[in-house]
Amino acid sequence: MRPVAIVGAGMIPFGRRDDDNLMDMLAYASLNALDDAGLGDKGVQAVYVANMGAGMLNHQMSVASALVDRLSLLPAAAESIENGPASGASAIKNGLLAVASGYYDLVLVVGGEKMRDVSGWRATDFVASMTHPTAEYIYGITLPGMAGMFTRLYMQKYGVTREHLVQVAIKNQEMGALNPYAHVESRITHEGIVDSWHSRVNNPPVADPLHLYDVCPVSDGAAAVILAPLDRVKEFKKTPIVIAGFGQATDTHTLQERDDPTDLKAVTLAAQQAFEMAKMKPSDIHVAELHDAFTILEIAESEHVGFFKKGEGAKAVEQGKTKLGGQIPINVSGGLKARGHPVGATGVAQVVDIVWQLRHELPKERQVQNAVNGLTVNFGGFGNNVLSFILRRGDK
Amino acid sequence: MKKIDIVAYKCKKCGKLHFPQHDRCLACKGREFEKIAPQGNAKLITFSQIFNLPWGFDNRFIFVGVAEFENGVKAMGQIAANAPADLKLGMTLKPTWDVVRVISGENVYGLKFEPIR
Ligand SMILES: [Zn+2]
Repeated sequence: MRPVAIVGAGMIPFGRRDDDNLMDMLAYASLNALDDAGLGDKGVQAVYVANMGAGMLNHQMSVASALVDRLSLLPAAAESIENGPASGASAIKNGLLAVASGYYDLVLVVGGEKMRDVSGWRATDFVASMTHPTAEYIYGITLPGMAGMFTRLYMQKYGVTREHLVQVAIKNQEMGALNPYAHVESRITHEGIVDSWHSRVNNPPVADPLHLYDVCPVSDGAAAVILAPLDRVKEFKKTPIVIAGFGQATDTHTLQERDDPTDLKAVTLAAQQAFEMAKMKPSDIHVAELHDAFTILEIAESEHVGFFKKGEGAKAVEQGKTKLGGQIPINVSGGLKARGHPVGATGVAQVVDIVWQLRHELPKERQVQNAVNGLTVNFGGFGNNVLSFILRRGDK
Repeated sequence: MKKIDIVAYKCKKCGKLHFPQHDRCLACKGREFEKIAPQGNAKLITFSQIFNLPWGFDNRFIFVGVAEFENGVKAMGQIAANAPADLKLGMTLKPTWDVVRVISGENVYGLKFEPIR
């Protein structure tokens, strides 16, 4: 395997994009990444498109074939990758392996999702279709419901409180307010979402014990990266970001079949593999994008990847260790909570945000000073398919 | 009352209980299973009161949880409750078999648990 670097990265602002369809968004994010890499009118050899729901939500299939045509990348190889909310990281992994093997030199990976075409209850049903058809789905379980059941157990076992979750929500929305690509751009106050008269209206329970502000929004959006072998990075202008490690692991489909349902084994294994490949340890990481589709997941993943011991993630939030300027800044982008969660785009967007951090090209108020190594976790299903990347700032 | 129509699978080699069905045992990869029916009451493992419901539900909220039967079978089901305070982890639930959802105009049956007071 030869080392692979990210030589271009691009995103479009997430949110409700009424004027754009899925193909528009995939095209715009791809063009941003192609331009960022300085490819001009040059092409790529292969395209991997991450998308979870075009078939169900937009009545369109084979989006990768449509995209290469639209971008005039013909006759590049092209395929769509569907791996639930981990589709983005899966597509990057496939692009990475294609370049690492020596088969392709230049690869475009783009992830996108158009979720606001359908009503909220259709979108909820679409996401719930990942659950087990006869043992879970029929009961009306939703992904927030799964997270609610997980939160109840995590609270009982580790003493995580609603207050800890609120702190994660406030932190991530504060950062999202600084991010022009974020869906949710408003700050929230403690009083506005807890213990006040208006908090009952503002922040109702969604899936007890989780409230509205514990849950990511339903978003449209897309993000893209360009991959190339490390020995060709001199041809590109931007500081190369090396994919130093990756890992992927799976777990049981249903929560009930896990010996300890609070143990996110696939997160632990994916991160361990990534650390091993990168020859790094958790303390070597300067910035992380974790999959906070629900506030509890940011806390749980921060423990499972090894930043904190099990049961100490909540305390770390309390002490400000996960804020910008803290021991390990987590979700400086605002995370899924504020950036939004267009499911097929998320895994790519996390990597784009880390690329920007490691190139030191973000405005001061959201740049992790001197960051060299970054980590991502992209969490599929309810933790039954998880990918992690470790990125390292490369030298020209 | 309708009979609970759930089949769990006990590995003939190592005894591990599975629900739902697998083609190879999660513990020993064995391929032969004895079919087992869940027995007795069930103990509540975890639950959530869900408000934002998917397509096909008219309720304002539902309670969904996971419970363990007396013979070790663990399964998800809906729970009859009005507020989270009605339920406590570890409490005993009585399983029933009833309509849990309507999909494409068809009644779908599943587990409905009732707290034993
Ligand atoms: Zn077995």
